[in-house]
Amino acid sequence: MAMTLSQKRQTFSVFRYAILTVWLCIVAFPMFWMVGTSFKPDREWFSWPPVYITENATLRNYAIVWANINEYTKADGAHIDPKTGELSQYTQSLQRPWTALRNSTIIAGLATTLAVIFGSVLAYGVSRHQILSESRMFQLLMLRMVPPIVLIAPISLWYRQIGLLDTITGLVILYFLTSLPYAVWMSKSFIDEVPREMEQAAEILGASRWRTIWEVVLPLVRSGLVATFLFILILTWSEYLLALLLSKAEVLTLPVELSKYQGSTEGRVYGRQAALSVGITIPLVFVGLIIRKHLARGFSFGMVRR
Amino acid sequence: MSRIELKDLRKEFGNTVAVNDLNLTIEDGEFIVLVGPSGCGKTTTLRMIAGFEDPTSGQIELDGKIVNDLEPRDRDLGMVFQSHALFPHKNVADNIVFGLRMQNVGKEEQLKKLHEVSELVRISHLLTKMPGQCSGGESQRIALARTLVTEPSNFLLDEPLSSLDAKLRRELRAECDRLHAELQKTFVYVTHDQEEAMTLADRIVVMDLGEIVQMGSPIDIYSDPVSYFVADFFGNPAMNLIEGEFFKEGDGIEFRSDSFNVSVPASYNNMTPGKGTFGIRPENVNVSSSKGDGSRKIGLVEPLGKDTLLYFETTATRPFVAIVDGTESYSAGEPVELTFPDENMFLFDSNGDRIRS
Repeated sequence: MAMTLSQKRQTFSVFRYAILTVWLCIVAFPMFWMVGTSFKPDREWFSWPPVYITENATLRNYAIVWANINEYTKADGAHIDPKTGELSQYTQSLQRPWTALRNSTIIAGLATTLAVIFGSVLAYGVSRHQILSESRMFQLLMLRMVPPIVLIAPISLWYRQIGLLDTITGLVILYFLTSLPYAVWMSKSFIDEVPREMEQAAEILGASRWRTIWEVVLPLVRSGLVATFLFILILTWSEYLLALLLSKAEVLTLPVELSKYQGSTEGRVYGRQAALSVGITIPLVFVGLIIRKHLARGFSFGMVRR
Repeated sequence: MSRIELKDLRKEFGNTVAVNDLNLTIEDGEFIVLVGPSGCGKTTTLRMIAGFEDPTSGQIELDGKIVNDLEPRDRDLGMVFQSHALFPHKNVADNIVFGLRMQNVGKEEQLKKLHEVSELVRISHLLTKMPGQCSGGESQRIALARTLVTEPSNFLLDEPLSSLDAKLRRELRAECDRLHAELQKTFVYVTHDQEEAMTLADRIVVMDLGEIVQMGSPIDIYSDPVSYFVADFFGNPAMNLIEGEFFKEGDGIEFRSDSFNVSVPASYNNMTPGKGTFGIRPENVNVSSSKGDGSRKIGLVEPLGKDTLLYFETTATRPFVAIVDGTESYSAGEPVELTFPDENMFLFDSNGDRIRS
């Protein structure tokens, strides 16, 4: 049977939403599993058939991870240590999630802010005054393609020499430098979108250079800069390798903290990890919510006309 | 009182010379149009006056003061851009008062001037809209208002109408004319459209390859072009230009080409024979019914109402055009005779320079 054009369009639209729904499920499933696991008692972490939605929801995982409450009974589903016959007692006292949260907030926040500020200023210079040639811009991006593992040895040696090992400053500097290329490239794409004539119009109407940037350029690239900020924040917030190897005892960040719940002598404690992961994710979601109106515009890289 | 003087103005981009030692004086209150094909240096010249491009050498003087090193905002200029360049995040009123705010004009004064100028360009009903909600013509009026409100002595207009459709362009062209008449300020207008140049200018400056080819009133340029280039550029439909060769024929000169042979008026008898071009404007071609020798067939008839265009096939790529009165009726394939009045002939040598009688 021949379909009319509008029927065809409708069919296509149904088809499209079906695919998007499936895709959404695939993407959202790990998050669902993370949140779900964080509320499960110990015995359900590995149970088969898997428990999708627990009927014995508990806040125990959160209490142990975030409040260091370590009272533990068999009723909570604790394992019995096969050697001693006693209830497993996890050594949570060694973990400091709140310190890690504080460190991560300072390090990621500061590094990201610095990267976006310096990056966008640099990008403005490149976009308007070609202060970096095209090949320099690509070299900048290449810098980012060096695997971090290559940097670790020289940097830790060097950091030890100048006393930056295991310090917040050390990590801020490193995160700032490694995310600068992203910041420059992303913000440049937004600044390029602002026509030069718009700035010249402001200038000839009597605006100073700074006033022009402040009143004309900045409002037009704000969404883009916000998107850049979130993108870099996600990267620095969840950076693991450099943080693990450049911090020893003092400066622990959340991803490193997360790893401490895994592979320790007690075995894998997925419920606690999940509870910590939820805590790690919430700030990002929160930031995303605050700036959501900028994101659709920013992440479309100007494809949507302003 | 404001007078713009360009002295040996030169601009090079790498190895390309965009503007080649230009000399031009623009008088106070004059409406001057820089016209030429793209790449002729007209926009670069305007942008140097505005201060967006630094001249490679030469001087720009405003009222006898060298302004080469002044920032654009210190030059007492207003500029209207091809893209309109409205600020998309500010509403129309905020766009218009932007310049006043930059000059620290008081709030009340701002409002007063805002209303005056929006009356002047007839956009009072748009003030609370965002630029994105305005049409192309409205945007251009807003851009004009934004420039007018700061009351500069000189207005620079960079192809302000080229992004608009034909009807709007005519309408805003008239608007520009009216504003110039009302304000009595200096207008420097850049366009590649010969019709805009003809209708607006007190004086046209024709540019090509970074140099001034000819300067003069629209009617001078039209009736007395100095070269093939200018003759070809002005007029719609364009002048019929036929490549061929001039031969000495007894005492006189004859022009021969694949499609036309014309005996050149006696006043040209002293010219050097050789390759060249013969030109005649379509409206100067006399068409008479004929069945005899030398008649040619009409290829295409294009009635425009008041006038009718007749097209004739030639060996050149461009057809030969004649304009006749709309009341006369012709049909395609009809044989006619074409004659050219002596006083309307234009002759150009092989370099494209005009041959004078």
